[in-house]
Amino acid sequence: MSDDFTNGTEIEVRGLNLWYGTNHALHDISIDIPKNSVTAFIGPSGCGKSTFLRCLNRMNDLIPGCRIEGKVNISGQDIYNKDVDVVDLRKKVGMVFQKPNPFPMSIHDNVAYGPRIHGAAKKEVGGIVEYALRSGALWDEVSGRLSTSALDLSGGQQQRLCIARTLAVKPEVILFDEPCSSLDPISTSKIEDLILELKKQYTIVIVTHNMQQAARISDHTAFFLLGDLIEFGRTEQIFESPQKKETEDYITGRFG
Amino acid sequence: MTRTQYHNDLDALKRNIIEMGEKSHRLIVDSVKALDSRDIELAGNVVQRDKEIDDYDLKIERFISQLIARQSPTAGDMRLVTSCFKISLDLERMSDNAVDIAKGTRYLKEGYTRPPGNILKMAELGQEMLRQSMKAFDTLDEDLARATAREDDKIDRLFYETQKELIEMMSQDRSMINNASYLLFVIRYLERIGDHACNICESVIYMASGERVDLN
Repeated sequence: MSDDFTNGTEIEVRGLNLWYGTNHALHDISIDIPKNSVTAFIGPSGCGKSTFLRCLNRMNDLIPGCRIEGKVNISGQDIYNKDVDVVDLRKKVGMVFQKPNPFPMSIHDNVAYGPRIHGAAKKEVGGIVEYALRSGALWDEVSGRLSTSALDLSGGQQQRLCIARTLAVKPEVILFDEPCSSLDPISTSKIEDLILELKKQYTIVIVTHNMQQAARISDHTAFFLLGDLIEFGRTEQIFESPQKKETEDYITGRFG
Repeated sequence: MTRTQYHNDLDALKRNIIEMGEKSHRLIVDSVKALDSRDIELAGNVVQRDKEIDDYDLKIERFISQLIARQSPTAGDMRLVTSCFKISLDLERMSDNAVDIAKGTRYLKEGYTRPPGNILKMAELGQEMLRQSMKAFDTLDEDLARATAREDDKIDRLFYETQKELIEMMSQDRSMINNASYLLFVIRYLERIGDHACNICESVIYMASGERVDLN
C-alpha cells in the first residue's frame, strides 16, 4: 500500500460547485486523483461524496434541476465540454453501483452488451467476454454456464459480473459507489482483492461507508463533510495523522 | 459522541498506564531508599512488588490486543494505543532496573556506609523524569515531553563522573571492590531509567503530533 506514486494525475478537478435546485451541495472542490491508484471518498451520509463521484462521469446530468460549475479534466479532456459525447465518456469512465444490477439476461450477454452497442465485431465478442470475466475474477466460477441467467448468481458473483461488464468496454477509470455494502465479508474480500488487482491497469475511485475498507485498499483518501472537501492525502497519513480535526473526529467515530 | 464503549476503553487504557507509572515510580524511589539506608527488608519488598508491575504490563497488553482486534483504532486513537504499548514496556523495564538495584542491595558488604552522593542525584533526576514524562502523557504536553527528555543529559554526565569515581575508589582500596563494582551496575541501571523516561517522552510526542523523534 505504500507504493510511491509518480504516475501523474488522471482526474483533475478545479473549483467544482454543484447545486440541486437551490441546494448548494458541493462547494468549490479541487482535487487531483492519481492514475493507476485507488482513491477512496469517505464522509458521513449527505456529505456529497456520492454526488461528487457522479460528477466524474456526468451521472448528475440525469437529475433535473442539477447545475454544475467548474472543471473536470479526465486524461486531459474537459468532460463538461459541450462537444463531449456522454455515452463515450461513460465508456471511458465506468461505474459500479451499491446494489449489483445485472441485466435480466445470460451471463455472457451481460458482459457482451457493452462491446456490442459500441460496435464490437461478432467474432471478437467471445474473446472480450472471457477477458472481462477473467479480469473480474469470475471466469473460473462461471465459464461452464455462460448461457445461464445472471440473476441466478450470488450477490457477490453478480457484483463481480457488473465489474466485468464495466471492464468489457475497456475503460480508463472505474467509479465504485459503495460496491460492497450489500455483500457478505467473503464476497467483500474478493471485491477488495479484485480492486487492488485492477488498479494496475485502471484508475479507481471508490465511495465507501466502511472506513476500514478505505484504510485497507486505498492509496489516497478524501474526506468530505457538508459538501466540502475537508482533507485529501495519502491513506496512511489520513488514518495515522490527519491534519484536520474534523477528519480525526470522523474517522475515530466521534461523530457521524 | 458515538462509540461510547470504545471511548471508555481508551480512557481506561490511559488510566491503567498512569497507575502503572505511579507504581513504577514508587518502586524506583524505594529501591534507592533501600540502597541509601541499607534497608534489606525494604529491598526485599521492592523485589516482591515487581509482580504487580508485570501484572499491569500483561493486563495492558491484553487490553490493547482486544482494542485492536475489536475496535480498529485510527488516527490519534491509534497513536494512543500503540504508544501505550511501548510505554508499558518502558515502565516494565524501569521497574526491572529498580528490582536489580534492590537485589544488589542485599549483597552489599558490611562496613561500607553510603553510596556516593552522585548516585542519589542520578536517582532523583530519573524519578523526576519519570514523573514529568507521565504528566506529559496525561496532558499530552509535547513541550513538557521535550523539556523532560533534555534532563537525560544530566544523568548521562553524572554516570560518567560517578563511574570514574567508583573505579578510582577500587584502585585505591581493594576492600571496596565488591561494593563499588555493584554500584557500577547501579549507575548503569539509573542511566537506563533515564533512557526509558526519554522513550516515554518520544511516545508522547508521537501521540500528540504524529511526529517520530529521537530524543535519546
